[in-house]
Amino acid sequence: MSGLRATMRGALAEAWANRRGFWTQVLVMVVNDLVWVVFWVLFFHKVGTLRGWDSHRILLLLAVLTTSAGFVLGVFSNARRIGRLAADGDLDAVLALPVPPLAYLLVRRIETTNLGDLAFGIVLFSVAGHPTPERVAIYLAGSAVAVVLLTGFLIAIGSTAFFVGRTEAGELGFQAMLMFATYPVDVFAGPARALLYTVIPAAFIGAVPARLLSSWNSGVALGALAAAVVFAGAAWALFNLGLRRYTSGAVWTQA
Amino acid sequence: MNARLLIITAATSARRALAERGGLVVSAGFYAAVIAVLGSLWRAAANAHGGHLAGYTGTQLTWYIAATEAATVSLNLRLIEDIGDDIASGTIVVELLRPASVLAVRLAAEIGRALPRLALCLVTAAAVDGAITRSLPGPGVAAAAVVALLLAMLCNLAAQHAFASAAFWVRDARSTWFLYQKLVFVVGGMLLPLEVLPGPLEHIAKLLPFMAMAYAPGRLASGHVEPVLLLVQLLWVAGLLGVAAACFTAGERRLQVVGG
Amino acid sequence: MRSAIEVAGLSKTFSIGRRSRRRSVEAVQDISFSVEPGERLAYIGPNGAGKSTSIKMLTGVLQPSAGRATVLGFVPWEQRRQLVRQIGTLFGQRSQLWFELTPRQSYRMLGAVFGVEPAEVARRCAELAELLDAVDLFDVPVRSLSLGQRMRCELAACMLHEPAMLFLDEPTIGLDLLGKQRFRDLLVRLNEERETTIFLTSHDVADIEHVAQRVMVINHGTLISDSEVSALRRTLLATKLIEVVLEQPAPPAALTSLTGVTVRLQSDTVVKVEVDTSRRSVRDVLDELLATFAVADLSVVDPPLEQVIAQIYTAPRPAAP
Repeated sequence: MSGLRATMRGALAEAWANRRGFWTQVLVMVVNDLVWVVFWVLFFHKVGTLRGWDSHRILLLLAVLTTSAGFVLGVFSNARRIGRLAADGDLDAVLALPVPPLAYLLVRRIETTNLGDLAFGIVLFSVAGHPTPERVAIYLAGSAVAVVLLTGFLIAIGSTAFFVGRTEAGELGFQAMLMFATYPVDVFAGPARALLYTVIPAAFIGAVPARLLSSWNSGVALGALAAAVVFAGAAWALFNLGLRRYTSGAVWTQA
Repeated sequence: MNARLLIITAATSARRALAERGGLVVSAGFYAAVIAVLGSLWRAAANAHGGHLAGYTGTQLTWYIAATEAATVSLNLRLIEDIGDDIASGTIVVELLRPASVLAVRLAAEIGRALPRLALCLVTAAAVDGAITRSLPGPGVAAAAVVALLLAMLCNLAAQHAFASAAFWVRDARSTWFLYQKLVFVVGGMLLPLEVLPGPLEHIAKLLPFMAMAYAPGRLASGHVEPVLLLVQLLWVAGLLGVAAACFTAGERRLQVVGG
Repeated sequence: MRSAIEVAGLSKTFSIGRRSRRRSVEAVQDISFSVEPGERLAYIGPNGAGKSTSIKMLTGVLQPSAGRATVLGFVPWEQRRQLVRQIGTLFGQRSQLWFELTPRQSYRMLGAVFGVEPAEVARRCAELAELLDAVDLFDVPVRSLSLGQRMRCELAACMLHEPAMLFLDEPTIGLDLLGKQRFRDLLVRLNEERETTIFLTSHDVADIEHVAQRVMVINHGTLISDSEVSALRRTLLATKLIEVVLEQPAPPAALTSLTGVTVRLQSDTVVKVEVDTSRRSVRDVLDELLATFAVADLSVVDPPLEQVIAQIYTAPRPAAP
């Protein structure tokens, strides 16, 4: 554990040392997030309410989404790169250390610019979320569940690279996840809706926590927690199974 | 202006884009997902309002989104950054040595690159939205939409080049591409029809060049017969091309004086 | 005394290509050897021979397709985390150091990872700085170091936890001549002062000449030679080189009259004579040279190791049994 703590300290130090263009990049993130806020405010200004969703609830969704995505992409930034690391043989240095490889990878690299999203989410919730102690607790818990889910999802998808080599699947899955998570899931029907609660669990990253903040439901909360556990477990299993098939970027396996 | 050179440049670019089959499939998949999701949203919104929203039916909104997304997804999203990189790194200096307008050749290359993507978007839209709405736009509407899409892309490219030419003077201008992109998204009508914007904002948005890059083809594809939009687009194309040409000429002159 | 490394029948097959064009490549086939503690061993072969694959199996990075191995008593791919506490690894192209930080900052973190107390880390840093002549380097950001300086710091990184064995995969790649020489000297010093077992892969023959006591040659995935470095030259090539400096330029006819040897003219007065000792003795050739020419100087040497190794590499691939 002390090894992982030291690694995280090192990641922070390294990120801080590499802060060229930091503020421009953070501005990019914040403007990006603001555009979604503007879009949804305009949309609900015209539409009013849609299947139980209004501008207030959508802002809660965006708050949780930007907080959790900002955390995952910022603090656990290697989660997004698992596929590339596996395919290019960049796991050798990790395997030379007496640490659990997945945990080490997750804390090894911090992408400071995505912390802009994290900050945006916190500010948005503070401003538009009517924070009470109870609501803050739900917001934090919801964000934590979303972090676990998103991390698990990214690692699971990235780990497919151990089995099928480098593909676009990782990046595409991630983009799809983020895109679907930006929409109130109740807009979708039938198979699309089922997809967003299962294979691409985007519903749990924004819509479900937002709904819980509006009206608490223990069953739904437990469902979200269960989904997080399932994805975390699947990710851990896939990664470690994949590690046994790791080829260290051997030239022969580059198709 | 050597028209033959431009046609060859565009054709070569198109051929190269067609060869990247993996990239095309990925683009098409992404586009299909986006129009399905956004289309779903707007249809649900229209249905919740007795079938009409801001003067559009659910079906019309579906085709609106298909067109606005096609106009932007077909293009290189980070073009401004790439142009900025080429200016900063001096790559553009090599192009100055050729007996042709740097801007014209670059525009031709980008158009060529975008055409296969646009064609694929149109086919995808016909398949996806055709299945969802169980209808296709009539031939007149389709023709107007396709012309508007081509003009929209040309407009967008000219504006991006004008924007990017700031890199001849300012080193870090390239990182502002995202601001430009967001303006197209909201004020250009890519994410939502301009009629959805509150009154004064709608009027302002319709006066800006961004509306020519997404709103115009979207409006036409949704079945609204407003040929004046094509004229507006033509005027913006001419204006933005002029601005871009002036910026590039000034920039090139600066390079010759100051060095790369 | 237990062997440091025991390998039996180790093999690794990679599967390459997509779908219908899928086929197997046997990167390592059925290799067996053992290494004693304190040895300095070079494991050489041309590119694609299977060197990196072998070392990665021994350090637990890759799982073998078949065979057994133990390193310091551990099965590498099953007990990787216990094993890596006892070994240091330096893969030439992959860095242990954090690019934006100083080496010292990296060492502090590595110390925490390996469970070395901070005070002990500081002591070992000082020791290693002396040993590796890197006192001025530890507080400079890694991105500002030259490749040679960086490699010395990488070596310190893999020595920090005082491992019993070092695995080095192409460590001198990219270094200039002086850098390579210094690095080789360091490895020898580490082995002599701390009895660290050195397992080094390389395709640079000079690494063998200056570091290794023993050399294993791998090609096409199989071990084709395993011997002491000195024996390698003697047994594998029945050749001696005589370098002759003449007092005056020799007439070409006189040179071609020498039989059973290959004559290479370096300049007007310097001649290299290659003697096939299975056909003529060196003594014979020397007598003839001294009788035929006015010799100013001469020396008899073994052929360069490059020549020996090249001959091993170009030997045909052994047929499948």
